[in-house]
This record gives sequence, C-alpha cells and structure tokens, in this order.
Amino acid sequence: MSTNPDKLLVVNNLATTFNTSAGPLPAVGGVSFDLNKNETLGIVGESGSGKTVLARTVMGLQPRTNVTVTGSVLLNGHEMVGVSEDEKRKYWGTEVAMVFQDPMTSLNPVMRIGKQIDETLRVRLGMSKNDAKAKAIELLELVGIPSPSQRYSAFPGQLSGGMRQRVVIATALACSPKLLMADEPTTGLDVTIQAQILNLLEDLKEQFQMSVVLITHDLGVVATRTSRIIVMYAGRIVEMGTTREVFTNHRMPYTRALLESSPKVSNPSHTRLITIPGRPPNLLKLNQGCSFAPRCAYATDRCHQQRPELQIAEEPGHSFACWNPLPSKREAATR
Amino acid sequence: MLKYVIRRLVMLIGIIFVISVGSFYLIHLLPGDPAAVILGTGDSPSNRLKLYKLLGLNKSIFDQYFIWISNIVRGNLGISFISQTSVASTIRAALPIDLEIMGLSQILAFALAIPLAMRSARKPDGLIDRLLGATSFTLLSIPPFIIIVLLVLFVSIKLGVPNIGVASYVSFGTNWIVNLESLALPAFTLAIGSFVVYYRVLRSDMIATLQEEFITMARSKGISQRRIMWRHAFRPSSVALLGAAGVNIGGLLAGGFVVQYLLAIPGLGYTLIAAINDSDYLLVQGIVLVVSVGVVLINFFFDFTINIVDPRISRE
Amino acid sequence: MSEFIRETELSQEALLEASMVERPEKNEPLGPLFWICVGWLALNIIGAIFANVLPVQSPLNQDYNFVNSAPSLHHIFGTDDLGRDIFARVVYGSRVSIAVGVGAMVIGFGIGAPLGMLAAYRRGRFDTFVTTVMYVLLAFPAIIAVIAVLSFWTPRSMFKIILVIGFASVPLVYRVIRTATLAIATKDYVIAAKVQGATDRRILMKELLPNIAPIGISFLLIGIATVVTLEGALAFLGLSVNPPTPSWGNMINESRTVLAENPWLVLFPSLALCLFLLCLNFIGDRMRSHYDVTEVKL
Repeated sequence: MSTNPDKLLVVNNLATTFNTSAGPLPAVGGVSFDLNKNETLGIVGESGSGKTVLARTVMGLQPRTNVTVTGSVLLNGHEMVGVSEDEKRKYWGTEVAMVFQDPMTSLNPVMRIGKQIDETLRVRLGMSKNDAKAKAIELLELVGIPSPSQRYSAFPGQLSGGMRQRVVIATALACSPKLLMADEPTTGLDVTIQAQILNLLEDLKEQFQMSVVLITHDLGVVATRTSRIIVMYAGRIVEMGTTREVFTNHRMPYTRALLESSPKVSNPSHTRLITIPGRPPNLLKLNQGCSFAPRCAYATDRCHQQRPELQIAEEPGHSFACWNPLPSKREAATR
Repeated sequence: MLKYVIRRLVMLIGIIFVISVGSFYLIHLLPGDPAAVILGTGDSPSNRLKLYKLLGLNKSIFDQYFIWISNIVRGNLGISFISQTSVASTIRAALPIDLEIMGLSQILAFALAIPLAMRSARKPDGLIDRLLGATSFTLLSIPPFIIIVLLVLFVSIKLGVPNIGVASYVSFGTNWIVNLESLALPAFTLAIGSFVVYYRVLRSDMIATLQEEFITMARSKGISQRRIMWRHAFRPSSVALLGAAGVNIGGLLAGGFVVQYLLAIPGLGYTLIAAINDSDYLLVQGIVLVVSVGVVLINFFFDFTINIVDPRISRE
Repeated sequence: MSEFIRETELSQEALLEASMVERPEKNEPLGPLFWICVGWLALNIIGAIFANVLPVQSPLNQDYNFVNSAPSLHHIFGTDDLGRDIFARVVYGSRVSIAVGVGAMVIGFGIGAPLGMLAAYRRGRFDTFVTTVMYVLLAFPAIIAVIAVLSFWTPRSMFKIILVIGFASVPLVYRVIRTATLAIATKDYVIAAKVQGATDRRILMKELLPNIAPIGISFLLIGIATVVTLEGALAFLGLSVNPPTPSWGNMINESRTVLAENPWLVLFPSLALCLFLLCLNFIGDRMRSHYDVTEVKL
C-alpha cells in the first residue's frame, strides 16, 4: 500500500506516548490513515483529543525527550518514525511544513519577520541574501500583507494576530512544501479574520499544488474545505470518511454529539446548544473499553469492556469504531 | 523608543544627583571637627585655609553642597592633604587598571558561561548539565578572596609562574604582555564569580525559551540545531543575562577591591584601601563618587542594550 | 450558565493538552542533602551562641608551648603564630560572621518586607512613591555605599556594620517581596477574599504572608550568604571588626602571608566559611525550586 504513487502520506498504526512522572500517557494510540496528493484532509476533535500531538508526530516534530513513538509514517516515501532529527530535518520545510496554532507565540518575537522567512530560503535552498529577501517580500505579498517591503523589517509585535498568521503561512510556504499541516490555524484569531485565513489557505493550496491536513475543533471550518474528515477522540480515530458521509451519515454517537454541539445559523434563535455530558477522559487512566463510553447515551456493558476497532461502513472509505452505531441512512430508510 | 530613552535619562540624572548628595554628606559622618580629621597629618594654617575654601566649611550646608558640586563639575575633586596630590589625577591614573581588570574578567566570564549554558540547556538534567550545575554551585560558595589567596599560593608560589604574583603589576604601555600576565589572576578570580551567575541565569532562561512554540516552528523549518540555539533561542534568552551582568558589575566591586589590594595592583580598589588606612578622606570621597557613577553608567548601558536585544521591552 | 461551565471545563482540557507536550513535573523533593545542610547550619549557630558555655578554649589565650603547630589532640585545628587555638578562633569567628549576616538581614527584612507587601497590596500612590524611591536607591551601588559609610563612620563596631549593611539591603528586599506579593495579590483567591469583605489585616496575614514566606525565606538565606561574604571582604579591606576579635574574614586575611608555612591557619576558617555559604545557598536554592512556580522545571 505504501508504494501507491498517489499517496503523499501513509500513516500506519502510529502511537505517541509521553513518559510522564505519573506514568505513560498515550496521547495518540494507534492511528492509521493516508492522504492523497492535492487532497485536503480534516482532523476534528475536542481539545485534548490528541490531534495536535498527532500532527506533530506525523511530521516528526514531537519533543526530543520523554516520548516514545511507534508505528510508521511514510511521507512521500520517506519514513519519519525512528529516524534521527538530522534525517527528518531534510524533509522539514521542503516536503512538509506546519502552520501553528497561535501566531502570538509561534513567531520569534525578537527577530524581524522578513529574516524569519528568508532564513529558511537561505539555509534550505541556498539562496543568496538578496534573492532570499526578494523572495520573502514576494511571499509576504502572496499571503496578502500590505506594503510587504516595509513589513519585511517589522517585528512580530508590530503586527496584528491575523497578519502574524499570514507571516507564519508565508514562512511555511517558503520552500514550497508538498504537504501543509495546519494545526488549528484560526483558533487564536478574531472571528472576522478566520474566514480570510482559511480562504487564503485554500487558494494557496491550489497555487502550490499541495496537500493540506487541516486540524480543528470547529466542524464549520472543515465542512466545505475538506474532501475527507477524521474524527478523533482520546487519541484514536473514531470515525473517518468523506466529508459528506461524516456530516450526513455518521455512525459514531460521538460524531453526532460533536455536530450537535456546534451552533448552526439555520437554527431558530434561542435554540439551546446540546452539550456532550461529562468531560474528555484522563489519558493516564483510560479504560479498556471504548473511551467515549462513559459519556455515551448508547453505551452498553460491551462498550465498557471491549474497545471497538474501526470497521468499514457501507460507503467506500467510511469507517467507524462503535459497537452500537447509529443507523445508517439506508438502514433508516428501510426501517 | 525615544520616549523610553528620555525617561531613562531623566532617571539617570536623578540617580546621579542622589549619589552626589550621598557622597557629599559622607564628610559630615566624620566624628568631631571634620577639618582636623581630613587634614590629619597635613594640618597647618595654610592647608586649613585651602580646605575651608574648597569645602566652604563655615557656610550653610546648602552652600557647601553647591560649592562642592560646582568644583566637581569642573573636574576638581580637591587635593589630598595627606599626599599633597590632586585627587582627580590620582583617580585618573588608577581608573584604567580597574576598567582593564573588569573588561578582561567579563570577557572571560561570558566566553565561558554562554557556550556552557547552551550545552546544559540542550539536555537539562543530563550528565554534563548536572556536572556543570554542581561545579557552578560549589564555586558560588567560594568567596573571591579565598580563590585569590589559593591561586596566589598554587600558581605563583608553588608553581612559580613569573609575573603573576603579588606586586608584579606593570602598566599596559610599558609591556603589554607582562601587563596581561599580571592581571591574569585577578581577572580570572573575578570571572569565576560572574561566570557562575551568568551560567545559571542563561541556562534557566535558555531552557524556558527552548520550550517556546517559536522554537518548534524554527525546528519545523528544517534549520540546524546549532542555528536554532544561536539565532533563535539565544537572543530572547539573553535579557535576564544582561540584567544580571548590570547588577553583577556593582556586586563585583568588593571582591575586585580585595583582589587588587592582595596583589598590590594600583587600581582604584588598592588606592581606596590605602586611602582608608591613611584616613585620606577626600580621596575616599572622590573614589566613592567616581565608582558609584561608573557603576550607574554601566547599569544604564546594559539596560539600553537589553532594549536593543529585545524590542518588546521598550514598547511596553 | 451550563454552557459557561462547559466552556471553562473545555479550557481546562486545553490546558491539559498543552501540558501533554511539556508536562511540568511535580515539586522536587527537598532531599536528604537539604536536611544535612540544615543540620550543619544549626550546628554552626548553636556553636556561635554557646561558644563560651561549650568546652572551647579561649580564642585569645596564647599558648607559647604550641606556636604555629599542626592539628593535634590538644589543638585539633592547630595553633597560630601567637599560639592561639584555631578551633576556638573558628568557633568564635563564626559569631561575627553569623551575627552580621543575620543581623543585617533582620534589619533589611524588618523594613523592606512589610513595605514591599503593603505597597504591592495597596498599590496606588503609596506604591508609586515608595517604589520610585527604592528604585533610585537600588541603582546606587550598595557595596560602595557600605564601604563609603564604614570608612567615614568611625570608630567601627559590629553594631555599625550590621546597621549599614542592613539599611543598604532594604531596597533589594523591598523589590523581591513586592514582586512576589504582586504576583499573589492579583490571584483570584485573594480577590475573592477581598470581595467577601475580609479585613486588610486578615488578607495580609492569612492569604499573602503564607504564600510569600517560602520565596522570602529562600531569598533571606541567600541574602545572609551574600552578607557573610561581604563581611569577609570588608575584613580584608580593614573595615570589619578590629583584631584581635576573630572573624572568619580577618582570620584568613591575617594569616594569608604565612599560608605556605602554616596552611592550617587559612584552611580551617576558609573551610568553615565555604561550608556555611554552601549550606545557605543550597537550602535557599532547594526551597526556591521546591516552592517557586516561576522557575522552569523539566
């Protein structure tokens, strides 16, 4: 399966465990998925579901100490698990790049923004100082920063959050990566700016012919911008399928709860949002059954005892992990 | 930025004013008749007249301060009635030695502290970090006067290294090699104390910086570990280091004076102790004034550097 | 309301996720070395206080049968050039060092700590005024001020040394305590206590003091170490207590010229001084990393 030339990314049984003083913490527990060229994949889940750790582990960007990673990540044919940082560094920036969550903290506060962009160009592509500067200004313009040649020498503190996130995107795109990991790229921004940044990412994806992994807790963000969605809970994939399937024909109760708890414009005013009872599990004390069982209205004894594996749904590419799935559309129709 | 500089300058002038009042008032701490104490062995009617003119001792205290400060502004720190020499020229002769020792010790301290702190921060609690931590902690608890006594014993007396022991000082102009040799022990002794402070401050800040998101972002760009340490982590971590350096210079003085005194190096420290022992109060007062202002200026310089290093500070 | 609760719960989870990447360890234990240091300090202090009750020879008694002798059963640390017992002089010498260190910090904390707490708690004009004054004083190099005042304010005595160093340390103590108080005074539980109508006195004593105490004590110990070192340097400069009263500093200073011939004379007071400083620094450092949240832990 790893030899399929259309697959840019093949993740197989990837697990990330932090070795904490309180015991091993399985932040990501055995995740497999793949990504086609020029595809946009959404990863959704609550805070603490392990999506950020997953994104970083896929890139190989996990902390250097106190962490164990097993499984396999093939990035454009290169294995990223179990190799040295020097080896991974060859692919960072050029094959895969990341847009970080909070532009307030992800830019170096004491380095001019232009320098942060052309550093990549000079170090990775060996550009001359002048060429790199010209390219950096071009990138700033591309991501929609007004008067880029002046902003080139600004410090991050002199820019607004939205502008800073544009700079982060420009930095990530500097070496034309084939895969862009966008980790909650709009969470730290004003609502009015969020759509602009997402549209920018979408445009750039076309322009750079990239694949994008879009990580978010906000289903509204992925609804129209992704072709497939992965739903994560407690470090595992609980449902995965085309965006359309996941939105309209989800089987896992957690997915439904997640959908119901996000507000919709079509709802009449003063509609009470449905919340998910309970709280995300403590990863240090996971039960042996389904992690969602304690919060699930449909949970049975089996759910508490035995962990459900991903099973294929009716539609191709759609799978879910649940012992008591919601009825599919077809089942509902025949009933 | 300009507003910040102006505010700091106003504060600087205020501090120098306070220092001048403090130094001026020292004379009035003397027991009994200050004129008699100051003149000491040089007490003669003609000297007494000169002193009264210099200090305005028969006028009100405000007039005295005014007379004193206007003399100082003109570079007249008075004449020592003990040695019959101008205080200003004595200080001018000694000051460069202090600056040289201070400069050498600081260069040495930074040259050791920066790379070692970075090495430690790369693997906190690793073997090298623990070793350096224990060493720096032990050194922290050995006062400079013990270090210099031991160094003189082992390097100069036991090993017999020339030009390095007591009273081997030669001015830079006479023979710069011997000059550097003669200042090696004092510079090294003072460097140890500074090194410990700088190492510890920079290590802890580097560890904090390396956990910042922008370091992960720099990693994700695929640039080398070395470049991340120097280009991305060092500068934001060096604010506390510069602050510590500014404070540390003031803290070094007592140790620096002792070291000069023990090795008979004729800097301000040596001159000051000699002046205290000779009850040469005008000279003591002059040195106190010059050293205080010097320390304040050095602090100001470091403050200023911090703002260049980290543009966030002056914007706040 | 329930949405609000959900929201805060979620943000706690967000914190948990953040902490998964860099999980702070629990407070480091104090460890056995800490208690060994505490024991050594206690021994030193008891020795200093009860020196004339304990079976220690007189530090001034000159025994001409033993001049410049090496350690023996009779004089366990040896004797100096006047036949005085070095052990006795080290024990009595600790009196000066400890009295100056503790005395000066009592003055420094006695004035600086209440001022700092009050300024940070009250804020407003009082804070602005005191803080400005203290920052101007802080810029004044304290050591030079101490040397200057001690050289003019004759005749010198231990009391004057304590007084001068104590006052010189006030601005530094003020700054540390004010910063620490400020960090705690703005915490929710203090604001909650205020809203519930607790008296200022109660908040200062019950809410602020217990939380500042660990930082204060750790700074106090390091402060004592600094003052003891300074006293040693002053002894070298001839600005500390006058011989023949022994202090660790002046013992080292007096005997450094005969170091090559009689190393015991320098060795024992130096060892006593360094061990004393090491214990103070170690305890202070351990307490800071045990209680303080500002220092980064890995």
